[in-house]
Amino acid sequence: MRSLLDFIVRHSYIFLFILLETLSLVLLFGFNDRQKEAFLTSSNLMSGKLYEWRSGVGQYFGLRKENATLVQENASLRNMLYELTDSQTVNLARSMSSDGVIAARVIDNSVRKDDNYITIDKGSRDGISKGMGVYSPQGVVGVVMVAGKRYSVVLPILNGSTSISCKVKDSDSFGFLEWAGGDPYVAQLRDMPYHSDVKQGDTIVTTGFSSVFPKDIPVGTVTDVEHSSNGYTLNIQVNLAVNMADLGWVYVHSNTRDEEIDELYEQMLK
Amino acid sequence: METVSFIRRLLTLIGLALLQVLFLNRIALFGYVTPLFYIWMIVRFDTSMTRTGILLWAFFLGLIIDMFSGTPGLNAASATLLAMFQPGIVKLFVSLDRHDVIVPGSVSMGGRQFAGYLLLITLLHHTVYFILRSIPLGDWTVLALKVVFSTLLTFIFMLVAEHVSVSSGLKRS
Repeated sequence: MRSLLDFIVRHSYIFLFILLETLSLVLLFGFNDRQKEAFLTSSNLMSGKLYEWRSGVGQYFGLRKENATLVQENASLRNMLYELTDSQTVNLARSMSSDGVIAARVIDNSVRKDDNYITIDKGSRDGISKGMGVYSPQGVVGVVMVAGKRYSVVLPILNGSTSISCKVKDSDSFGFLEWAGGDPYVAQLRDMPYHSDVKQGDTIVTTGFSSVFPKDIPVGTVTDVEHSSNGYTLNIQVNLAVNMADLGWVYVHSNTRDEEIDELYEQMLK
Repeated sequence: METVSFIRRLLTLIGLALLQVLFLNRIALFGYVTPLFYIWMIVRFDTSMTRTGILLWAFFLGLIIDMFSGTPGLNAASATLLAMFQPGIVKLFVSLDRHDVIVPGSVSMGGRQFAGYLLLITLLHHTVYFILRSIPLGDWTVLALKVVFSTLLTFIFMLVAEHVSVSSGLKRS
């Protein structure tokens, strides 16, 4: 008995090893998706301050480029303003007035993992809530996954669980943009009917079907079109409009008008 | 004495974790290659430490990095496994008497032995890390590439760290 106790005491580190390793593996594999999301969120929100500090240091180096982008966007907004003369567009603009935009800064971002996440420095107290669309001056970035008080976590295009409804510009055929991992500049547009008229170089934009994104926000350009194995749909390679590795400021699209549409969508998806 | 070494270790842990989370995690050469330099702490565990101590330090080092990288358990699992084998790996490269206490380094072990020790320890850790990270396992070639090139990159980081610590040690004496 005594020698057994001796053995246990002398080799207690082995039991400790098993305990710690089990604990780690439970953390790693025992979490279901919801728990993983919660871990990620709290970990991201907890480290928000830290990421903010780091991105504050790095921000100055990108100012010149950031300025250029903003000037360009200003110019295109100015152009739109001039075009807003005929009454039809004015009416359209009025009907869109329930759409709002919240500017936020990206403080943490990854593009090289299999599932990437972005943290932004605005949260529920700034009016952000789950499911809002996020885009940059260049185009679509992702959708808000969780809104903390001061920070939010965004599910970018470069995440396996993201799916955004998109269409070819000036046409009505639409599909869903997904990302299969790997190249952070290329995503795939799925479920596009096989008879749709898509060719290389076409521009892909948001549909505006749900209230997540406004209509016609650029997503990317078509680089390759091929028939899917089932023969009914097309698989389309899309070169993303946004360089996801290089995000500074983004806009969060808030829309209070279409809650009913979203509710319908949610009921449908259940 | 005990308190001093505890505080020093704690500072090393915080420093390495910050370095890893804030800067090294962002490096991704060719999309695959990320240095996991934080295991430097485990590399440097001296031979007088208890096995329990080694395991606990490594576990918390990994856990803290996990908390800030959004990867629950990944670094904790691979760092703890490495900590389990670290004392054995030291003995592979240098023969010690019962009472010899060394901190693994190029001076205490000899340059070639230390390089071998570093390579083996890094390879072990990175293999476990990338296997756990890629489950469910799909593409073995990509996995192998990740392991090999990340090991090399971490190895280079450690050689630089060793060089800095040796030359600053010379200046002090």
